[in-house]
Amino acid sequence: MAAELAARLRSGDRRALGQAITLVESTRSEHRAEAEALLAELLPSTGGAHRVALTGPPGAGKSTLVDALGSQALQAGQRVAVLAIDPASAVTHGSLLGDAVRMQRLAASEDVFLRASSNLGTLGGTAPGTRESVLLCEAAGFELVLIETVGVGQAEQAVRDVCDTLVMLTLAGAGDEVQGIKRGLLEVADAVLVNKADGALEVAADAHARELMSALSLLRPGAPPHVAAVSAVSQRGLPELWRWLGERFTDLRQRGELALRRQAQLERAFDSAVTAALRARAAADPRAQQLWPRLEAAVRAGQLLPTAAARELSAALFGV
Amino acid sequence: MSEESRARFRQLVQAETGKPPEELTTRTPAGVERKLLYEADDLDGVAHLGALPGEFPYQRGVRASMYGGRPWTIRQYAGFSTAEESNAFYKQCLAGGQKGLSVAFDLPTHRGYDSTDERARGDVGKAGVAIDSVEDMKRLFDGIPLSDVSVSMTMNGAVLPIMACYVVAAEEQGASKSSLSGTIQNDILKEFLVRNTYIYPPAASLRICADVIEHASSALPKFNPISISGYHMHEAGATAALELGLTLADALEYVRAVSERGLHIDRFAPRLSFFFGIGMDFFTEVAKLRAARLLWATLLRERYAPQDARSLELRTHCQTSGISLVAQDPLNNVVRTAFEALAAVLGGTQSLHTNAFDEALALPSDASARVARATQLILQHETGVPGVVDPLAGSYFIERLTQDLADGARQVLAQIEAAGGMVRAIESGLAQRLIETSAAERQARIDRGQDVVVGVNRFKHDDQSSFDLRRVDAARVRELQAARLAELQQSRDGARVTASLAELKEAAARGANLMPPTLAAIRARATVGEVSEALAQVFGRHAAMSHAVRGVYQMQFQADEGWQKLRARTAALAGRFGRQPRILIAKLGQDGHDRGAKVIASGLADLGFDVDLGPLFQTPAEVARRAVDGDVHLLGISSQAGAHDELLPALFRELAALGAPEIQVIVGGIVPAQDQPALLALGVKAVFGPGSALPDMAAALLGLLESTPSGAGRGG
Repeated sequence: MAAELAARLRSGDRRALGQAITLVESTRSEHRAEAEALLAELLPSTGGAHRVALTGPPGAGKSTLVDALGSQALQAGQRVAVLAIDPASAVTHGSLLGDAVRMQRLAASEDVFLRASSNLGTLGGTAPGTRESVLLCEAAGFELVLIETVGVGQAEQAVRDVCDTLVMLTLAGAGDEVQGIKRGLLEVADAVLVNKADGALEVAADAHARELMSALSLLRPGAPPHVAAVSAVSQRGLPELWRWLGERFTDLRQRGELALRRQAQLERAFDSAVTAALRARAAADPRAQQLWPRLEAAVRAGQLLPTAAARELSAALFGV
Repeated sequence: MSEESRARFRQLVQAETGKPPEELTTRTPAGVERKLLYEADDLDGVAHLGALPGEFPYQRGVRASMYGGRPWTIRQYAGFSTAEESNAFYKQCLAGGQKGLSVAFDLPTHRGYDSTDERARGDVGKAGVAIDSVEDMKRLFDGIPLSDVSVSMTMNGAVLPIMACYVVAAEEQGASKSSLSGTIQNDILKEFLVRNTYIYPPAASLRICADVIEHASSALPKFNPISISGYHMHEAGATAALELGLTLADALEYVRAVSERGLHIDRFAPRLSFFFGIGMDFFTEVAKLRAARLLWATLLRERYAPQDARSLELRTHCQTSGISLVAQDPLNNVVRTAFEALAAVLGGTQSLHTNAFDEALALPSDASARVARATQLILQHETGVPGVVDPLAGSYFIERLTQDLADGARQVLAQIEAAGGMVRAIESGLAQRLIETSAAERQARIDRGQDVVVGVNRFKHDDQSSFDLRRVDAARVRELQAARLAELQQSRDGARVTASLAELKEAAARGANLMPPTLAAIRARATVGEVSEALAQVFGRHAAMSHAVRGVYQMQFQADEGWQKLRARTAALAGRFGRQPRILIAKLGQDGHDRGAKVIASGLADLGFDVDLGPLFQTPAEVARRAVDGDVHLLGISSQAGAHDELLPALFRELAALGAPEIQVIVGGIVPAQDQPALLALGVKAVFGPGSALPDMAAALLGLLESTPSGAGRGG
């Protein structure tokens, strides 16, 4: 089953890729088992794409920039996969996945795979399965994977952990609120773009880009990120951005940093997988099930330290 | 009213009904509270009660004599298939008592594609007449003297080549430019708001619009170069105050754009015309037209202080509401349209289109078009209504309502201006959100039965009478147009066409007025598609920016037991599938009406679906790719313009080619009952007509998913 789907996916069958992503995103354990078998089969064919994530506050123009950047890649003869993440409603769990609406040029091309996913079940800017979806796109032969994150900016590490290059979008004159969440991102972004630098906003965007550039040279003196004012409308700064991305990818590979970065990502992914697996084990264990609510009540009542309670639970599960 | 009469009225009502008057207030579909009784006190704060018709601020009418001097113009919007067929229909209308023509163009023409363009497939000649060149325009008006008959043209996106085709066709008929009368819609801002038949980005589009107004101000003295339209906002679900406020905000933006070119207000303001939609909320619609005139005259005087009184006069065309028409019991639409027509006339419109009763199903047939026209003829000649100027003036209720609507519209206007004007409000999505929220609320009220629609959510009637509907074979029209285009290319001077298009592009880049070079290109027999493409090379084509609101249904329905059941069923499916049920809602072809699609998307997301929305104007291959990439369970196609008969079979072929024949396709929108068997045979799982309630549709979709073994995708 997995072998057949893997073969179809490798041969470029987009139906197979669409279905494979459904498997890695599924909440059902038998689907996840299937997904693991599939990924194991495909692993040798992965790793080839430049994984670029775009993040930024809502309204910063992420989808439109993905459309513009993807078009540059198409012109350069690359095949492009877009993974767009949208917020799910906490109440109904439903979502509106409208990213393709602003990706008219990409939507018109056969060489583009475009999948939107809701972030249901995660807190961050990515979706459950984003990391695995990237691998699937690579196995299907896509050379550029663009990940458009939810514009929250509160879980920058989660976003950084699925990409080789993290591009952050901002706007000139964005409010203090936006500035507040941005700081964490500014510390990890590989490129910071002031978007919508066209028409009446162009002057302000230039000024903002200069401010950012000097602030970032202080904040990150060793390796300041690429900073530029861009516009998907006037195309300003886009050919340069495309060139910079290409050079960065080559450079990362040649200096061996790409491998290091991806290894660190895998370590963290392993780490959180271990935590999740242990927690699942504990939740399923009859002894822990009995003990858990009692310990929780004691912690709540202030009779027991959280760390001590955790130790007691672990002792009950695995022995001292 | 004195305290004593107030108490007495209270007693009388209490005795009759057992309730005090305040418990008998009603709510309009716009959510406005309406008292049981209005009296003299309600006139407090109502301005200009003593004004005469034909004088500032014109709430009583733009002419002193109103219909006593000249009845309103019966102007029926029509056009379909080829120029010859539309021409024959127009001649029939003129012989039947109609006074002016109103041309409906097909969607490819609106979007600047020749009939042979791949993107035109399925839409050629469907929602209007196909015009590819001046030769088609000449055929359209063959035997109709343009120096005598006024012509209204609903054209916004491809306004330059179409206006030029009309002027050149008139020229070649021998009509002088100064004799041409009529209107071109040329209201591009509202296209970005609701109707989506634009071609170029907003700034370039606004420039083209101002070019047409500027050119007409000197070259076409009797022609209205713009019709600033609230109609489409009304149809998209805007309340009356919102329709008024946004329309006047658009109008002020146009005045600003033209004034900035140094043209004095009195050179063009007298030829600005307006267009409003008239729905079923009778008194609101009467008051809306009065408030529109009052507010426009006041605003223009405040801001531009024109010398010429005609600059202050808001002259308007009206059309009865398309969304008030329903597919269930369609003959009832005759009655709806008649009431709406009466409201438009009591409100003092200058011209009127009455819808045909079968328009929720298809384009009007000859028979239904005759009834629609007769509705106005009866109003003019049998009812005595036109004999008195502004007959509802002085009514406590109407005057209060007029003032309230003007005040409400002023608030909308202030909100738009605070956001930096209409162009900015469109770019930021503010204006769209105002309309979409209003639309979703309105649909939710109908779905809950709070607003009654006879035959839809109350007093349902099972008998499905069938009518002869007009059918257009798009493939046949496309073949004919293709032959015409080939002929045109043979006979024209190719070098002259190329040179004229190059000049047009150069003028576009330079910032010169684009009407003269477009006229030259059209005279040289360049096609509508060629002119539009030349400009697209300079300006680019605009990509749709669609917004869908969230949470409106969940808010309105959260306490509703039926809704809770639907949510539980959705959650159960999510458990079974390992993900939320997923649907792609898509539009095919060049039809940009997306209100229905967005309301449904919003409602299903509130129920717990993952809803993919695609761009507008998609080909079947593009939609199939979106469905496959998203691995959706369901694919919902919204069709309003009759292109389904050609585009849906193509969609099924594309789905099969991508290895996804199991994705379940459903269709919503305007689909004649006669077409349904063919669609079902094709594999369509369900067809939902206009007026389908969202909870009913959702229940049907959940049923489809529940009875499918594992949903569509491999992953469930």
